Amino acid sequence: MTQTTEQGAAPLDWVNPLRDPRDLRLPRIAGPCSIVIFGVTGDLSRKKLLPAIYDLANRGLLPPSFGLTGFARRDWTEDHFKEFVKENVQAHCRTQFNDATWDQLARGIRFVRGTFEDPDAFARLSDTVAELDRDRGTRGNHAFYMSVPPRDFPIVARQLANCGLAKSGEDAWRRVIIEKPFGHDLASAQQLDEVISEVFDPDSVFRIDHYLGKETVQNLLALRFANTMYEPIWNANYVDHVQITMAEDIGVAGRAGYYDGIGAARDVIQNHLLQLMALTAMEEPVSFSARDLMAEKTKVLSAVRLPRDLAAHTARGQYSAGWQGSEPVCGYLEEKGIDPDSTTETYAAIRLDIDTRRWAGVPFYLRTGKRLGRRVTEIALVFKRAPHLPFESTATQELGKNAIVIRVQPYEGVTIRFGSKVPGVTSMEVRDVSMDFSYGRSFTEASPEAYERLILDVLLGDPPLFPTTKEVDLSWRILDPIEDFWSTLGQPQPYRAGTWGPQEAVEMLARDGHRWRMP
Amino acid sequence: MIITMRDTETNEISNKIDELHEERGEVALGRVLTLLIVTDEDHLENSLALANDASRDHPCRVIAIAPSSRRMGEPEEDRTYLDAEVRIGADAGAGEIIVLRPRGGLIHHLDTLVTPLLVPDAPIVAWWPTEAPANPSKDLVGAMAQSRITDAMRSVNPMRTIEDLRRNRSPKNVDMSWTRLTRWRALLAAMLDQPPHMRITAANVVGEADYLPKDLLAAWLAVSLDIPVSIETDDDATAICAVNLTREDGGVLSLVRCHDHDDIVTISVPEQSAQTIPLPMRSLGDCLSEELGRLYPDEIYARVITDGWRRIHPDGARDRLQEDMR
Repeated sequence: MTQTTEQGAAPLDWVNPLRDPRDLRLPRIAGPCSIVIFGVTGDLSRKKLLPAIYDLANRGLLPPSFGLTGFARRDWTEDHFKEFVKENVQAHCRTQFNDATWDQLARGIRFVRGTFEDPDAFARLSDTVAELDRDRGTRGNHAFYMSVPPRDFPIVARQLANCGLAKSGEDAWRRVIIEKPFGHDLASAQQLDEVISEVFDPDSVFRIDHYLGKETVQNLLALRFANTMYEPIWNANYVDHVQITMAEDIGVAGRAGYYDGIGAARDVIQNHLLQLMALTAMEEPVSFSARDLMAEKTKVLSAVRLPRDLAAHTARGQYSAGWQGSEPVCGYLEEKGIDPDSTTETYAAIRLDIDTRRWAGVPFYLRTGKRLGRRVTEIALVFKRAPHLPFESTATQELGKNAIVIRVQPYEGVTIRFGSKVPGVTSMEVRDVSMDFSYGRSFTEASPEAYERLILDVLLGDPPLFPTTKEVDLSWRILDPIEDFWSTLGQPQPYRAGTWGPQEAVEMLARDGHRWRMP
Repeated sequence: MIITMRDTETNEISNKIDELHEERGEVALGRVLTLLIVTDEDHLENSLALANDASRDHPCRVIAIAPSSRRMGEPEEDRTYLDAEVRIGADAGAGEIIVLRPRGGLIHHLDTLVTPLLVPDAPIVAWWPTEAPANPSKDLVGAMAQSRITDAMRSVNPMRTIEDLRRNRSPKNVDMSWTRLTRWRALLAAMLDQPPHMRITAANVVGEADYLPKDLLAAWLAVSLDIPVSIETDDDATAICAVNLTREDGGVLSLVRCHDHDDIVTISVPEQSAQTIPLPMRSLGDCLSEELGRLYPDEIYARVITDGWRRIHPDGARDRLQEDMR
């Protein structure tokens, strides 16, 4: 049935006659809109957001009516700000810097000076946004990017509500984008959520987890659900255990204030690693719509069981001074801005089990840390040994377990590890080899930055890649008991910077008869 | 690196490539497709340069076939032979390039000539940068390909070429005249995405005389919106310079290329201030790259060159167009 709006003009189920679903060439271009960035002078904004916005414009994916407003404390004129944006775009953009694109983008750039406490500043912001609607034709569609510490979310949200910016008129939208951390435990996450949802509709809140914008995560969905050969072995019958790793080679530099007291688990496991785990372990969604994906992810997250003995199946560490490759680095406790008695962990590893038929008895090991051997993120499914090996035992002594490794970064792609005969030797000898698929080699050298994808999705109002409140809550339910337990333990075990973490973590896997991969 | 091989054979070429890969410690298995370029000596270098660029997005093996133009003495005139070149590394983008210069009888067996050199188990794309065969799907090289790219605009007689292509259409064929339109089409579709979603009742496309994509754009609008579309020629224009869509309330939405600044278009919508956006002329490299990224049959294009074309050229499309051209 065709419903019509009050004006009787356009039917609600209107479809654009120029968009045929078979017409895959046509990119989706965001409609008229603007984006307001709070914390625009910060690192994230300079290195990621502003360049991503430029790259989107350069790829022709932003509308002609587009505005970009920076909100910051600095005493800048609009021209200062434009210069600042230009510098950072030129330094960090992925596509070529093109004057025509820049001029076009620059025409929509505005700057509002002020602090979050200052209602006048928000009144000015409101005027600026109205001016964009009028002069740039942004039609009342505005996204607010909170690139600010979470403690500032409530005040910014309330100020936006007070000056009437949080609610949209008819036919227009307001969206808010928040970055992790979404709280530091379940209670604070719920509190944060209350504040935000008081001001914005739940549907207008986009939580950015940039890992979910990476091509590989979507590749993981394609790998699992577009192929026949993986699904039959993607279960407890064949999989021995799963290791999900996100290792960083950097220390806390620059983030000390935020990091101390938060630690590796809250910073990374709660969001990135649990999301990667959910995508790896979930059942096939009915469709790739946001709702169906969320349904499957929440099912998995709600089936997670914590180890009974947390001491035996979790591990914490803190980096001490050492050599990161060729560079001498200081220990965590000596870092600037860190309490010398801090018990914050910079390395965390946990074992989780998923109580479903598919995963019964398959441990999932999640680990993350700073100042580890190198920067790498991967998901590794390690398979059981073949039930019978018709070789002399000497022939297979070097044969490990088969594995499928999904490399998230760097070298995005997939590796399959399996045994192969060593050529030439007189006796039979089987050794592990790798079969590699690399995105960069098979497709494009330049896949879009995660932030490009995510910002565009926000502007299009397309939410499948954003974690929902429910997923955030479930993640905290998993992590909270572990954090509580850890808080009773005192100092985390030190590990030398540049290594793969503390001895405790090695022992934790050894107890189950496994060992960590060297990613 | 460019290696020239005179009077050679295909297995010598394959061996050479394997040898080069081995020396350089590379594996050639990552190539996602083979791009066959059918051209002549005059257009060879230019086509290879475009393919090089496109190969950065789609690592492929490029095989270019250009009949030999080597001068031969009288007794050798009719001899059948093959000259070849292998290019790799800095001279070959993100893949390798094989140039084949056949002569004599080989010219008539181009399919079996390239077969030993194809990337195994990977799609084949055939591209005729200028002159296209009247029926690409019946062409020996074309018949092997999953996707056949022609470029009527760069042929000697564009209108005749497109007529041939229309008559001999196949879901696997596509003409670059269509690819050149993608960004125009994207902007038009984005314009209609915005409320109020009123019906469009008429449209008009303005552009350079004899600019084939202009007709295809008109045909696309006619067939997707089910409306009459008029085509206007502007003698000062290069390519397409304006599209106007008339709404049922009489309002006009327009996309107009700025006269003094080719790369900018102005978008005007009733009750909104006019906006501009960069719309640079699409390079051939971009177009080729788009085609290599898309190996499925383009049903929209098929509809445009059949139903759409008939709508904008209802009475014997061909005669009228030929008149236009005079």
